[in-house]
Amino acid sequence: MSKLKAGNIKKGTYVLYNNKPHLVTKAQFVSPGKGSAFTRTKLQDINSGSTLDFVFKSHDSVEEVDVESKEMQFLYNMGDEVVFMDPRSYEQINVPVRLMDGKEKFLVAEISVYIQFYQEKAIGVSLPPKIKMLVTEAEDAVAGDRQNAGKKPVTMETGLIVQAPLFVKKGETLLVDTATGEYVSRAN
Amino acid sequence: MKNWQRIKQDQNLKEKFFVREKVFDGIRSFFKNDGFHEVETPLMVKHPGTEPYLEVFETELINDEQKRKQAFLLTSPEYAMKKLIAGGIGNIFQICKSFRNGEGLSEKHNPEFTILEWYRVNADYKNIMSDFENLLWYLHTTIHQTEDKFLTYQGKKYDISAPFIRMTVAEAFKKYIGIKKQDLLSVEALKEVALKKGYQVDKNTDWESVYNQLFLNEIESKLAELNRPVIIYDYPASQAALSKRKKNDPDFAERFEVYLAGIELGNAFSELTDAVEQKKRFEEELDLRKTLGKTEYGLDEDYISALKQGIPETGGIAVGVDRLIMLMADVADINDIIFFPAHEVFSS
Repeated sequence: MSKLKAGNIKKGTYVLYNNKPHLVTKAQFVSPGKGSAFTRTKLQDINSGSTLDFVFKSHDSVEEVDVESKEMQFLYNMGDEVVFMDPRSYEQINVPVRLMDGKEKFLVAEISVYIQFYQEKAIGVSLPPKIKMLVTEAEDAVAGDRQNAGKKPVTMETGLIVQAPLFVKKGETLLVDTATGEYVSRAN
Repeated sequence: MKNWQRIKQDQNLKEKFFVREKVFDGIRSFFKNDGFHEVETPLMVKHPGTEPYLEVFETELINDEQKRKQAFLLTSPEYAMKKLIAGGIGNIFQICKSFRNGEGLSEKHNPEFTILEWYRVNADYKNIMSDFENLLWYLHTTIHQTEDKFLTYQGKKYDISAPFIRMTVAEAFKKYIGIKKQDLLSVEALKEVALKKGYQVDKNTDWESVYNQLFLNEIESKLAELNRPVIIYDYPASQAALSKRKKNDPDFAERFEVYLAGIELGNAFSELTDAVEQKKRFEEELDLRKTLGKTEYGLDEDYISALKQGIPETGGIAVGVDRLIMLMADVADINDIIFFPAHEVFSS
């Protein structure tokens, strides 16, 4: 394990807090003006999933947890668990859906993701920043809908709904941003 | 996606952004109804605030002979407004931009932000508490067109009728951490409590950092859970460089901060009117700036001379207008009520 200055903690870092491994889900440098610098964090307990807020002095020393990251392929979603496979060993693992953090609707067939492991247990899943997805439902554009100025909801192969430009049709492939769920471009 | 693009996509978003002009209108009519004058003072200054931990935006003023003078964007319009008070101008307010560098971007911070300051003469911080209570009530009832005492913010209802909960810093440390008032100013006592709670303290930990860390973790988070606004007042004197000490308790000063839903909305003082004491505190702060490696500049002698010539007893406050807008628009992120937040302007 390595030591880290609290001022350098970033979102996505794994740290030991109260002797338990936590994922940093939010980290903000705060210099309140009235006092010295602090780092405001939101920490998620890797084992229980519960979150807490803690403000570190920016020069506090924090222990970073060693996390292994492995490329895995998505197989199928069972609802409460998602099954991935190691493409080299063909070994399969089941990951609780809560680790997907609401991103399970980006899991298109055979997509490669990175899974983080701590002491051989899966603790997080990272998706590529942009992925290609097929449009399975798209209504014809309704002219004159000025409220939504040039966008309409389309349904993707996974059930995800994306606000896409009016010209997008069923059967097209789109690039979608996995951080925001926003349309990026056509990918045909 | 940028805010202008979001607005294009969803015209309903306009209404959230237009809350800004409603808040501006509300502030102006509130103070004008009370006989205050609106003033405008420079944003580009020679002497920004001496607060040791604030970092400034530095620039240069170049004259027609190419002579360069150090200049800064102000961190608050306080000095200029108090000079006007010394000039005998009476009750005043101002809505302007202020700039703070190096604070980081967050859902509650933008380095360029809108500040409201008002100064009431022949008054102290208790009068400013009432002013703030009345202002928040006025904005809520006029903008939301209601007499309902509850303001709904992020799904929670807050009773914003006056008076707000009022708690001294010492009472808050007693209530939420169990620290007695006589121990509050002792670095050893605070460190002992912090250590027991699992904080990192060592021989180099100073009073200011352990005090602030305890406040941020153990008190501020609890204030966020209350369903009313809270006024925290009577700060340790070292935390209140521009405020008057309490006559009967000089270790503490007449400063308050007001919070709602965990958001700090304003910071107020009974203004320090003693020129000698003010100069001493400025010099200490400028020394600390040097030690901390912050941008260095001189102190505003013109301000000291204004105090020397006499300034009426005055209460004053600085309020984060963007945060008021967040509350009134029921928006959780400051970047969603500023058309062009810094992270958009400076993104690649």
